[in-house]
Amino acid sequence: MGDYVWFHDVSWHASYAVYFFIIGIVAGLSFLSYGSWITPALRPLREKAAYGSIALLALGSLLLIADLSQPLRFLNILNPAYLHFTSPLAWGSLNIVAFGVVSVLYILALVKRDESARTKLLATAAALLALGLPVYTGYDLTVHQSRPVWNTPIMPVLFVALAIASGSAVGSLLAAGNEAARRVLHQYLLWSTAAVGVILISILGTTNYGGAAEELTFIILTTGTMGLIFVGIGILAGTAAPVALLLAPFGKQQGGLIVASVLVLVGSAALRYALLMGPQQLQTLY
Amino acid sequence: MSEELRVSPIETRGVAGKKRYAMVVDTRRCIGCMACQVACKAEYDTPLGVNRTWVPYKVVGKYPAVKKQFLPRLCNHCDDPPCVRNCPVEATFKVEDGGFVLQRYERCIGCRSCMAACPYNARFMLPSHRTYTPITNVVDKCTFCFHRVTQNLVPACVQTCIGRSRVFGDLNDPASEVSYLVATNATQVLRPEQGTKPHVFYIGADRNATEFGRDAYRKPDVMELERAAFKNHFKI
Repeated sequence: MGDYVWFHDVSWHASYAVYFFIIGIVAGLSFLSYGSWITPALRPLREKAAYGSIALLALGSLLLIADLSQPLRFLNILNPAYLHFTSPLAWGSLNIVAFGVVSVLYILALVKRDESARTKLLATAAALLALGLPVYTGYDLTVHQSRPVWNTPIMPVLFVALAIASGSAVGSLLAAGNEAARRVLHQYLLWSTAAVGVILISILGTTNYGGAAEELTFIILTTGTMGLIFVGIGILAGTAAPVALLLAPFGKQQGGLIVASVLVLVGSAALRYALLMGPQQLQTLY
Repeated sequence: MSEELRVSPIETRGVAGKKRYAMVVDTRRCIGCMACQVACKAEYDTPLGVNRTWVPYKVVGKYPAVKKQFLPRLCNHCDDPPCVRNCPVEATFKVEDGGFVLQRYERCIGCRSCMAACPYNARFMLPSHRTYTPITNVVDKCTFCFHRVTQNLVPACVQTCIGRSRVFGDLNDPASEVSYLVATNATQVLRPEQGTKPHVFYIGADRNATEFGRDAYRKPDVMELERAAFKNHFKI
């Protein structure tokens, strides 16, 4: 006691976690809209998923811009004279813009009820660019090698799995009543949520066996309020419980799928918050 | 550092014809007067709640044999700075001749990527209101007093250090005092495992001060209460 510790502020606040959550759903819905071209059972979701994706992209982009301390300078990041390609944020901003442009073209084709190969090509391009959204957000954390948990290379993979899980959850809510779509989405939700669980176990294991910073971050993530959010809501209620539910007979029914979807959405929001904020706590004491 | 260890083209230590400024902090001479912190505040009008340089301390030992371990902190002006790599608009850059890591205020978008990338917490966000300067809402940091050094002056914190704990100079000049100190003393840098090649060298730094604090072992909720009180006090 009697030490003089200077508390530093965290770099990224909770609004960034909300952005992660929204952009994950954007990507997941885009995957579903593309999936409707491959899997006929998902056809009823094609337009709904595409419209939802673009609406949430607009919301997410506004959140991202509002999170800047100089919001009007967001154009700097698109200025070729300023763009710095060693930063994942630079790639991410280009990815978001390209995804937005392709999504608008895709939606215009859907509005015209154009079901040609050209529209399918646009859906494919949108889905590929959508894959870049969780990859870049995960990579955005991974490049910060001085932060435990963030620095694990599996972070972009976790964000892709979370995007598929949360997208499938929203898709399940949108497809309520459609038996064929429900069966497909049940499988998507089950396997993507299980993948999230496996990746989280891997991250927790390697973090607990890491150095002093990793060990302390593990303590922060698994105890107190952050432990309640990460372990309680994120892992137990938002990952383990929906997987168990989806494996049970009730999970295959409409009611069970809806409950599992809501749990996955709440859990994935909690996980993103904890994964963003938890590993920053220790650094604020250094 | 030998030339063979240079892994990035951005590194300028040991490059002939270029300056590579560095600071040596002899912690054995630091008396914890905080004059460096005050001099820096006076030089830059740094707002309340944030600092370009700060002097945390740990109380070590067992009563009655206790003492304070000071560890003056500032931007390490790394030879391979992760903040520069992570800035999406090149608002943060490294001056090739001198090694200063500086900030272009007019270009910074305030995404805080550089703050997240810095292992030393050397960067901070300026508040939205300041009394004497319009530079607000952008990330700021220690500049190694670029404006003074280019006028053949030493940084304000070095100028004011009454114990001569802080020494500043060109590490690429074998005749400089910092070169002599680094060559003849066992020195430490903060978090060397990060590969940033910091250019603030410590003499006599204690691991109680350089490692992650034991405060982190305390219950997070207690830590959060203290942090909330701190933030409330400084209105940040």
